[in-house]
Amino acid sequence: MIEARHLTKVYADLHRGPFVALENLSFTATRGEVYGLLGPNGAGKTTALRILSTVLQPTHGTALVNGFDVVTRPAQVRKTIGFMSANTAVYDRMTAWEMVEYFGRLYGMEDEPLRQRMELLFERLKMQEIRDLLGAKMSTGMKQKVSIARAIVHDPPVLIFDEATNGLDVLVARSLLQAVAELRDQGKCIVFSTHIMREAERLCDRIAIVHHGRLLAEGSVEELRDRYNQPDLEEVFFDLISNQEKELATGNR
Amino acid sequence: MQWKNVSLIYHREMRDQLRDRRTLFLIAVLPLLLYPLLGTSFFQLTQFLRDHTAKVLVVGGRQLHGVDWLPKLLDDGRFDAALFERPDQRDSLELVSARDFPALEQDLRKGKRLRTEGAADGQLPETETDEAAFDNAARQLLDSGQVEAVLVFPTGFKERLREVRRALLERQAGDAADLPEPIILFNSANDKSQLTQLRVEQVLRRWRSDVTEVNLTASDVPVEATSPFELRPRDMAEAEQRQAAVWSKILPFFVFIWALTGAFYPAVDLCAGEKERGTLETLLTSPALRREIVWGKLLTVMTFSSITALLNLASLGLTGKFVIDQLSQIPAFGQEHALSLPPAVSLLWLGAALIPISALFSALCLACAALARSTKEGQYYLMPLMLVTMPLMMLPMSPGVELNLGNSLVPLTGLTLLLRALIEGQYPAPGLFIAPIAVTCLCCLLAIRWAEEQFNRESVLFRESERLELGRWLVHLVRDRGETPSFAQGVLCVAIILVVQFFISVALSVHQGGPLDFGALARAVLISQLACIFAPAALMTIVLTRRPGRTLLLERTPLWRHLWAAAGVALLMHPVVVRLAEHIAKVYPIAKETEAAAKGIESALAGAPHFLVAVLLIAVVPALCEEIAFRGFVLSGLRHVGHKWWAIVLSSVAFGLVHPFLHQKINATVMGVVIGYVAVQSGSLWPCILLHGLHNSLQLVMQHCAAAVQADAQHPLAYILGGESPLLYRPLTVAACGLAALAMLWSFRGASYRPTREEQLETARQRGDAPLAAV
Repeated sequence: MIEARHLTKVYADLHRGPFVALENLSFTATRGEVYGLLGPNGAGKTTALRILSTVLQPTHGTALVNGFDVVTRPAQVRKTIGFMSANTAVYDRMTAWEMVEYFGRLYGMEDEPLRQRMELLFERLKMQEIRDLLGAKMSTGMKQKVSIARAIVHDPPVLIFDEATNGLDVLVARSLLQAVAELRDQGKCIVFSTHIMREAERLCDRIAIVHHGRLLAEGSVEELRDRYNQPDLEEVFFDLISNQEKELATGNR
Repeated sequence: MQWKNVSLIYHREMRDQLRDRRTLFLIAVLPLLLYPLLGTSFFQLTQFLRDHTAKVLVVGGRQLHGVDWLPKLLDDGRFDAALFERPDQRDSLELVSARDFPALEQDLRKGKRLRTEGAADGQLPETETDEAAFDNAARQLLDSGQVEAVLVFPTGFKERLREVRRALLERQAGDAADLPEPIILFNSANDKSQLTQLRVEQVLRRWRSDVTEVNLTASDVPVEATSPFELRPRDMAEAEQRQAAVWSKILPFFVFIWALTGAFYPAVDLCAGEKERGTLETLLTSPALRREIVWGKLLTVMTFSSITALLNLASLGLTGKFVIDQLSQIPAFGQEHALSLPPAVSLLWLGAALIPISALFSALCLACAALARSTKEGQYYLMPLMLVTMPLMMLPMSPGVELNLGNSLVPLTGLTLLLRALIEGQYPAPGLFIAPIAVTCLCCLLAIRWAEEQFNRESVLFRESERLELGRWLVHLVRDRGETPSFAQGVLCVAIILVVQFFISVALSVHQGGPLDFGALARAVLISQLACIFAPAALMTIVLTRRPGRTLLLERTPLWRHLWAAAGVALLMHPVVVRLAEHIAKVYPIAKETEAAAKGIESALAGAPHFLVAVLLIAVVPALCEEIAFRGFVLSGLRHVGHKWWAIVLSSVAFGLVHPFLHQKINATVMGVVIGYVAVQSGSLWPCILLHGLHNSLQLVMQHCAAAVQADAQHPLAYILGGESPLLYRPLTVAACGLAALAMLWSFRGASYRPTREEQLETARQRGDAPLAAV
């Protein structure tokens, strides 16, 4: 469903010169699984997912989403994904219902199926009471719900969540994780990026540990623990990252 | 592009804007309040104006008393009421005497002994000190605003009047010329003082003609003797025409300014605002194409722009009607000068012109707003936008500027002039009608394309605030330079060339004294080519690119067939270019100065030591310098735009711009497209230099050929050249050569064209396949 091939992204940076945000990142995620991108802040997760959602162009390499190339068929890619991140806000001067309806229409849904789908979503996400509330008046949790409804209104086979639990309280974060798990059970292919170990452990079927734009390790939580002979994911993570830091330091010397 | 999506986005943005209080205030409430408020303040001001009374100090007025035949000038602290156009104006000038300023009284009285130009020489030396004392006192009063003007009747003025009368009555020449005349002192740096001086002068003029009349009557000469006839100009313009002339200047400017303002704020909110609020990324991840987003937003901005303009017009109209009705009651505004509301037809034309104008402004604003990171940054862009568009809108308001082919091609100016002509009721020729609209549409398309470009650039969409440090930025430019220059660097190069050219041409024209000889011409050409064109391009290539050879298209060895083909194109294009130039000159006649300049250059070239030296100067040097700059650096930079034809056309427009005269500009733009195509297809600069050099030298050779054909009609060249003067190619020659040139250019097709990365990507996108891996 998602196939990232040698994704590389270089930004121009005044201070550091060309800055490599992503280096040769390749991975595959299939339907019915949550693929986790785990890494500290600035590891390149957001860049990778923005490339998958076609808002950024890779410097080299490409990715196939549902068989469409993100570089040459961006419009088709966007039709088949639902994208949600801490950066994708809701409109202040639109109600929850209007917002979801607007995106449903942009995804090309007909009136009647859209209405039915929205009724279902609003019911399932418990959003009936904020139906006519303007975005500006919503709490963070409410906004997050609207964002989820917006991302899945067209029932896409691929979902991309970028640090979606950022800034949420425990209750809201928990219900979001539940929603993601449900979507996985419906057979969606989900890419989920986070820097929180527990979320990755609980939710992800496979995890890629990313640091400085490079993929350091990939596998299920058990596989990673066994491979690196550590009691839990946090230790694996810490181990991998400090090793890479050392390598980079010696390499620079 | 799906219009369904555009309409969806449009409706959402409209609803969003209408829910925004700020926008509603700006487009709906502000105009409703603005004009009534302006009207109120205007009335306040007119009241100030009417209540104003000016003080005039009169020195030496007493001598006019007791001359019984003299018409009355001063009357109880005022000028006589009969001397004013309307009796109520009498109160606007209050007269004071030296006695009212005790501290200065002594000095002021010395004014009576003031010398005037008419006075005889040989005055006593003490008058000079008197004069200085009086001047000081008068200046003190004028500067402090205690009086607005000083009127002095020097001692002896009465005698002058008597002498004039005596001479007339006794029918003999008098010697009044030696006697003093009245003087008005005022301060021209002070508006009020200047106005008072004019009023006093008017009063004195009337009084003077009264005096003349009395004298004439007394000496039995008919009054008509002084003015045997009166001039009676008759204005044939009807009231409506006069009104239209006024409205045609004001209305377009007014409406366009509001169209710009009305477009700007929604544009900033729709782009920079959405970026700031994070909703733009949400929209970008939806299937809507960037183009659909731009069009949806553009239509919204356009709607607001036109509504703002129309509402302002309506509000101004209603307030204006009220004000005009009131003003026409004030006697100062004579009935015949009173304005009425503009005629309905002019409003219709205005409405029609509003559509392309608001489209243009909306696209410009949208592109600027897309560039901005935040609304605050967005607001900064209003000023530059105004600075660029204002002069273009002001130009048509200046007197004497009329719609012609030249200025109809200037964006905004052309349309404003067309609108002015239409409101005045003149319907221009179809060409002049279409040209401004076509230019506006073209600008619109360019601006929309630019806005789309902004939406496609991730550096613009995801710009992060970075401290601007000039030093680091310069280091970054050189350290992280690309293989070839970027688009912006290409544009910058053109801008630098234009700026340097401006300064050097001014300097050259100042130092250029006397007639133009070959030496001076050679110096001018060398300086302008090397310093203005070659130096910036070469320096920028060395500093800003990692592969200068590739940038300047000098890496590849040119193919012989490309060189032959380029030479062929140069020869074959010549008849076409000459015909084209002649045609342009017919449509838009060459200015006398341009013709004189061309003649000067021609004669200077005739003074060249050898024909080949002239060729070197006029053909080889420009070919080398201009090709390195325009087909080398500039075109390489512009090709990052992603479509070779856009790059070619833009670079040739830039190439046209650096040429001084209009006819050269058009010619150079056309040749620029041809040479640009050769450059892109052959991937080498040498064919371009050859083509350019040959093209230029043909201009020189032509003069020799012309002389030969004119001398001998049987000359072989006469088959292709008409024997007329000025020498022209025969139409058949032009057609045949044009076709042959096209065929030759066609042979470049599919040559070793090396697409840039952006061009490959664009092609891959259009075909919908995977991009080429190795770029």
